[in-house]
Amino acid sequence: MSEALLRVEDLWVRFAKPTGGVVEAVRGISFEVGRERIGIVGESGSGKSMTGRSILRLVRPPGQVTAKQMAFLGTDLMAASERRMRQIRGNRISMVMQDPKFSLNPVMTVGRQIAEAYRLHTGAPSGEAARKTLEMLEAVQIRDPERVAKLYPHEVSGGMGQRIMIAMMLAPDPELLIADEPTSALDVTVQLSVLRIMDRLVRDRGMGLIFISHDLNLVATFCDRILIMYAGRIVETCRADALMEAQHPYTRGLLSALPRLEDGQRRLSALQRDPAWREAPSVDGYL
Amino acid sequence: MSTATSEPALAVTDLTVAFGRGAARSVAVDGVSFSVPEGGSFGLVGESGSGKSTVLRAIAGLVPAEAGRISVMGRTLGPTRDMVFYSTVQMVFQDPYASLHPRHTVDRTLAEPARLHRKPDIERRIEEALEQVGLGHGFRFRYPHQLSGGQRQRVAIARALMLEPKILLLDEPTSALDVSVQAEVLNLLDDLRRERGLTYLLVSHDLAVVAHMCSTVAVMRGGRVLETLSAETMRDATPAHRYTQDLLTASQGYREDS
Repeated sequence: MSEALLRVEDLWVRFAKPTGGVVEAVRGISFEVGRERIGIVGESGSGKSMTGRSILRLVRPPGQVTAKQMAFLGTDLMAASERRMRQIRGNRISMVMQDPKFSLNPVMTVGRQIAEAYRLHTGAPSGEAARKTLEMLEAVQIRDPERVAKLYPHEVSGGMGQRIMIAMMLAPDPELLIADEPTSALDVTVQLSVLRIMDRLVRDRGMGLIFISHDLNLVATFCDRILIMYAGRIVETCRADALMEAQHPYTRGLLSALPRLEDGQRRLSALQRDPAWREAPSVDGYL
Repeated sequence: MSTATSEPALAVTDLTVAFGRGAARSVAVDGVSFSVPEGGSFGLVGESGSGKSTVLRAIAGLVPAEAGRISVMGRTLGPTRDMVFYSTVQMVFQDPYASLHPRHTVDRTLAEPARLHRKPDIERRIEEALEQVGLGHGFRFRYPHQLSGGQRQRVAIARALMLEPKILLLDEPTSALDVSVQAEVLNLLDDLRRERGLTYLLVSHDLAVVAHMCSTVAVMRGGRVLETLSAETMRDATPAHRYTQDLLTASQGYREDS
């Protein structure tokens, strides 16, 4: 757990507005990711997704990413050429997005998509890619992988689509997986089986996982460590099992805004935002 | 205003909704029955494809019922919905980004139902509805893109209130919102129900939201109601059905070996 796969220091993401002025989506955050499940939580606009995307340099212009350091196992991601980044993306660092409907190619069978991704990254012959495809579909607990591989994305359910995405992203055996709300479009029971698959990969392969989510409950029970983001900064970090004892008023506010089964029908407390939270310096999330 | 009567505000008996015909026929709702007393709040929970939203849409007349009986305030509904129905029952949809016309101002969005129903006092109604959902006068001439998700959902609720209905059909009203915004909208819905004696039928996949808002909950799966239970039974996690227990466990978060 001691070795960091990824180290990010003073990361900023800025967007120049056409009307002048700059929107700062991420404002100088620092953190490390080891062979662990790290959760990034926050509300919409907190900068959590931009953080995930900037690691893979997927922030498009006019977005601008700067960092003092962004190193992945010795590779400087900020200085790497676009060619070098293509070797890293999907191969050593993978990303799973929220909605499989928009991430899968609608006119290609899912089996071909997984095989293509695998061949692209490993240069394996097509026979081996076909075998690997079935193996990966099986690994994400799809019954009858041979039948499913021949289906088009519109012929599979949302939960199955997301598992197919995960199979595709994990085929090249990445060292780090960035999962941006990977289960929020899924039913609770399917959600848990998808999480179990990712959990096993972290344990068995020693993969690092960045789990971006707005779901406090899920992150608290699934991750090892949590970074809480607000207005582009990390306001608090904690061990996941200690989230309920979090100290920052923003985290506390989020927790008490959440309806809970065991609480009955008490009035939910609305979050009172303090302007000082925006200005407080970012907390570092190093190991 | 509302007197306690034995007549439920909304009663659904053996409702069946099917799509397609022949080999492609699929039954989305299969003999569902429940009733909601006036001023009550009833929840429908279930996973995607359980038929919970279809029940709501069948009541609103957005999909045709194949069999069964729906009655509102003691009046049995026919195959089509009339003006009287829509002034009694209004619906709030899941996605406030999709349910508001992007090129209509809040003012025009709110005025539309009142104009269709030839209400004389549109001006007063708009001001009142905005006031009630906690949006001041300043929001009246804005467009949806100038509003946040929570503000949009407030506008959608205000639109539903324009005709001063008795019953609100709420289809996942907060699932597109952040938790802090969800808390505000749930509190707003709670207050409105209490102040105006409204009756709610709430559909959600989130058991905690339903347990928070409703006194009685029906758990649906595969188009059928598996069981109807009180919010207390849900909180104590003592449901009769195994599937409900699984849903309750799953809603508590992740566990390594479950």
